[in-house]
Amino acid sequence: MGTQRLDFAEFYREVKDECLFTVVLSVGDRDTAQDLVDEAFARAWASWRTVGRHPAPAAWVVRTALNAGISRWRRRRREVAVPDLALVADRPAADGGVGGPVDPTIMAALLRLPVRQRQVVALRLFLDLDTAGTAQVLGIAPGTVQAHLGRAMAALRYDLTPTRQENPS
Amino acid sequence: MNDNELITALREQRGKVPMDTPVEQIIRRGRAVRARRRLPGVAGALGAAAAAAFAVSMVLPASHSASEPGAQLAAWTVARQADGSIQVSIRELRDPAGLQRTLRADGVPASVTFTGQQNLVCQGYPGSGSQSQRRQLLGSVVTGPAGRDALVIHPSALPSGGGLQIYVSSQNRGPDGSFQVAVRLVQASPGCTGS
Repeated sequence: MGTQRLDFAEFYREVKDECLFTVVLSVGDRDTAQDLVDEAFARAWASWRTVGRHPAPAAWVVRTALNAGISRWRRRRREVAVPDLALVADRPAADGGVGGPVDPTIMAALLRLPVRQRQVVALRLFLDLDTAGTAQVLGIAPGTVQAHLGRAMAALRYDLTPTRQENPS
Repeated sequence: MNDNELITALREQRGKVPMDTPVEQIIRRGRAVRARRRLPGVAGALGAAAAAAFAVSMVLPASHSASEPGAQLAAWTVARQADGSIQVSIRELRDPAGLQRTLRADGVPASVTFTGQQNLVCQGYPGSGSQSQRRQLLGSVVTGPAGRDALVIHPSALPSGGGLQIYVSSQNRGPDGSFQVAVRLVQASPGCTGS
């Protein structure tokens, strides 16, 4: 039991921020995301004997969080066309963030993407899953993952390049 | 900006939205998950209790005055405490308008929905501080078990022109079956909080 706790605690410490960030990008609301990720980690702890042997336990957590909140974010997607940037971006580094607060320009660009594209970007770039793993988490075909990622990168490049040229800092 | 620069810029954001839930809290919640799985009999008992509560709710009025300390309904309870705070407990998602009226009558500009959908007219309270500061402000207005079906509102801590948006969905349940109550500090307005 003690070993189990230690392993879980280590896993939690290592991946919690990436998991939260991935889910934040999906739901567009930090509080909702944190509740979903809390629940997902709690379920991971409850099944740690199995989840601890999963090839990508962080992906398991994210998938569980997304499944737990799927109706919530579907509803949110219908109601709120653009997620509230202030709910995810306005977070001071003093709270424990790494290297300062999030870049509001980048976060705004990410949150302007369609939900599925945001999820693919988050899983591929922030959780470092490969195409097959991303496809498995989202329950879509690998080719669809690549298509979403390609569109998302094009949109982000379009969104961010002019702004970053104007503000090179 | 090429793809590598873009990916680097994006990845720099990773970890900048820190998750601050202590692992001990996760483990406590995990224990609740385990308990729920291991005791199917408890689920049956809870179901019977819920059915009984529903039966009671059918014969009780759907609203009440907050000035009756400890008054209790099957659907929800609003009870003013000696220190001026207001305790709200939600057991069933019925009569949100009644709860809204009760809170407003008790001096809390509030918008209450039980559909999980927020009143879209409501605007976030225009605080100038960071999210952390705004969260702290909300924490002074509303206390109690976070995300649970009971909360304590401190009307005296509401900032000028501020109100509360309370929304609950039957689909959002905690590990112990309690409703997850979402509360947001909003700008009081006729369309949102009634004043």
